[in-house]
Amino acid sequence: MNMIDGNTLALLGAAIAALAGIGSAMGVGIAGQAASAVLAEDPKKFGKTLILQALPGTQGIYGLIISFLVMQKIGLLGGAMVELTMAQGAYFLMAGIPIGLVGIWSGIAQGKAAAAALQLTAKRPDQMVKGIIYTAMVETYAIFALLVSVLIWLRIAI
Amino acid sequence: MSIVKMQKVAIIGLDEHKESIMTRLMDFGAVELTDQKSKLADEELQSLVLADEAQEAAAELDLKINQAEAALSFLEKYDKAKAPLFKTRRAISKAAGDKIKARQQEAEADILEVLQLEEKLRDTKEQINKLEQDGIMLEPWKEYDQPLEAVETTKTITKLGVVPAAVDAKALVEEVDDIPGVVIKIVNQDKDLSYIGLMCLKSVGEQTFDLLKQRGFTEISFREFKGSVTENLTRIEKEKDVLQKKINEIENEVSLKASLRKPIEDYCDIMTIAADKEKIKSNFLKTEKTFYMEGWVPSRLVKDAEKILQDTGCYYAFSEPGEEDEVPVLLDNKNFFVPFESITEMYSLPAYKGFDPTSIYAAFYAIFFGMMLSDAGYGIIMTLACFIVLKKFNLEGTTFKMIKLFFYCGISTTVWGALFGGWFGDFVPVFARTILGKEVLIKPLWFNPLDDPMKLLIFSLALGVVHLFIGMGIKAYMQIKEGKWFDAICDEGFWYLTIIGLIGWLAGGMILPGLTKVGMYMAIIGMAGLLLTGGRHNKGFGKITGGLGNLYNITSYMSDILSYARLLALGLATGVIAQVVNTMGSLFGGGVVGLIILIVVFVAGHTLNLAINALGAFIHASRLQYVEFFGKFYEDGGEPFNPFRKKTKYIRIDQEEE
Repeated sequence: MNMIDGNTLALLGAAIAALAGIGSAMGVGIAGQAASAVLAEDPKKFGKTLILQALPGTQGIYGLIISFLVMQKIGLLGGAMVELTMAQGAYFLMAGIPIGLVGIWSGIAQGKAAAAALQLTAKRPDQMVKGIIYTAMVETYAIFALLVSVLIWLRIAI
Repeated sequence: MSIVKMQKVAIIGLDEHKESIMTRLMDFGAVELTDQKSKLADEELQSLVLADEAQEAAAELDLKINQAEAALSFLEKYDKAKAPLFKTRRAISKAAGDKIKARQQEAEADILEVLQLEEKLRDTKEQINKLEQDGIMLEPWKEYDQPLEAVETTKTITKLGVVPAAVDAKALVEEVDDIPGVVIKIVNQDKDLSYIGLMCLKSVGEQTFDLLKQRGFTEISFREFKGSVTENLTRIEKEKDVLQKKINEIENEVSLKASLRKPIEDYCDIMTIAADKEKIKSNFLKTEKTFYMEGWVPSRLVKDAEKILQDTGCYYAFSEPGEEDEVPVLLDNKNFFVPFESITEMYSLPAYKGFDPTSIYAAFYAIFFGMMLSDAGYGIIMTLACFIVLKKFNLEGTTFKMIKLFFYCGISTTVWGALFGGWFGDFVPVFARTILGKEVLIKPLWFNPLDDPMKLLIFSLALGVVHLFIGMGIKAYMQIKEGKWFDAICDEGFWYLTIIGLIGWLAGGMILPGLTKVGMYMAIIGMAGLLLTGGRHNKGFGKITGGLGNLYNITSYMSDILSYARLLALGLATGVIAQVVNTMGSLFGGGVVGLIILIVVFVAGHTLNLAINALGAFIHASRLQYVEFFGKFYEDGGEPFNPFRKKTKYIRIDQEEE
């Protein structure tokens, strides 16, 4: 039973937070397909489509932030890891869950919204910013999840 | 600060004055001429006036513009000079404008020349295509050494053709070869086809071809070619080389003609002005010798417009907009607030009778942006970059507003970054520690959000409450202006009471013990008011459910307020990513190698972070205005004021006072 200690749980938390990248990868992929279709019609729109494609990428970054914060606090980056109790490790695990899970689905959903916004941009380039705003509405919930993760992380005393 | 008041103007004049008045109005550039065709529905008017149709001249000018645009895009494609970052219009004096008009013929000759070059290039490319296709067709027949034109002698016939790879070509050849008087060979085989050549006596021709056809043989004709396949292939290569050289020559010639872009652009704009002048005529009504036009003028320019109309000698009348008139909307803000108009315009202009909130939310926009990016290093970069662009380019319109907006937001970012102690994240301490081996700390002017995020969360939400209250205040102001005092009290007053009360009830105890009680009573009075008045516009049972529904809105106010938590979250995100970048850069320790890696990681990482988070800050600062703030009061749907003026793309003809 010594296999699982506090540090393992903490690392599990860091790993789960990084899973938000799944959502971003899928979201950016969905948006990328739509972007290519738009570009086929008008290669001049590369800059505009790139911005829209990048929007679902933030969930992965948020996940990375939490992963990094967890690793930093438990001393993984500095060399020697701090010995954590089971409870402390579980807290870190909890900190990783919100952004990890919300990141996955919000990233995918945001990718779909971005794909629609790309079609909007293809037909009405002047309306692109509104498409960006629509897409960014999805991101709100990833931001909240990030906030919850950060707040949990901040309160863990080691 | 507000929406510009407009006056309606109606003008009747003689046809002989039409051109001069249109020129004057265009130079004036502040009168929107509206379409009058709807007036023709009136039967009495119908017998008197006609719609002015001047479409033929306009179409002709449009054709010229299209040609000029085509020539320009062709020239741009091969122009070796670097395109500037921002397209700006060249300022041109009126005299220079007249000169452009005078050299119209030359410009047209230039355009023709450019278009001819384009056609020549296209033709040459087509020729190369044709040759390439020939090459592809001939390629599999390389082994066939007979001249291609030799298809028939008096006694024999020669044929070339293919069978699908699915057919056993070898068996087929053997079978056909058995017919006396036939020579048949497989020339080539690839994964799709077998290439077969045969020569036979005319006497056995029919028999042979029938057999071949049954087996899926398709004849290929090379009638247009002379000589052997290899000869043809070398000829094609040679011709292609020649054509390619020709293409290079043409492209060179085109790039040398880049200097023509300016005169053609000038010409294009002059033509656009002329075409607009023709097109606007379809908005007028006319009789045999007179014309009638109607439009909108900003009230403060009425005097100037009147002078023009007097000078040109026509009848006119100004009037206040009526109830059913759709008045165009023009925003008018003081200098500092102008850039923020672009955010309002992006959403949708306010209705003419609505309210332009630009100057009210401008400061909030800058503050929100600054809090979300919150890094002094990034702020300084943004501010400097925008400053240089503004100095270097003579920007106009939306581009100008946007750059200026980012300039202000950059300043705000710098301030918030300094308050929170972010200078490229924690770069300075990291640099000092890994490279210089010293401990340096930059103290935040206020506090580091990572040390006390709750403080910043409460600050963000408080800022949000203020922002929302201002939005509600605007709504109340509009209601009071319309004389709806009671509505203002019910819709906004009770909510103020409820929200302030709830905050006091829940958190007031931390400041003063008595606040809890006060807050509780305020909240109860507010909520009672909401419950009682929410259904006041409904009938019967709806009076009760309306009140409950109104009270339930508390959830939407909660979510509106919590939405401002993003100020904290995005601010933290910028700071933490910057830290990640710095940590990664410092992983390789000190020394020269460490320093170089640190610099590379620094530049790449912070550029990416700045780009992502500046975009995020821009979007979410806008969203907080659009969804949370505008949601409380904004009435949109205004048509933008579109005055009759010189809508040029490349040049700006300055007006001189005569």
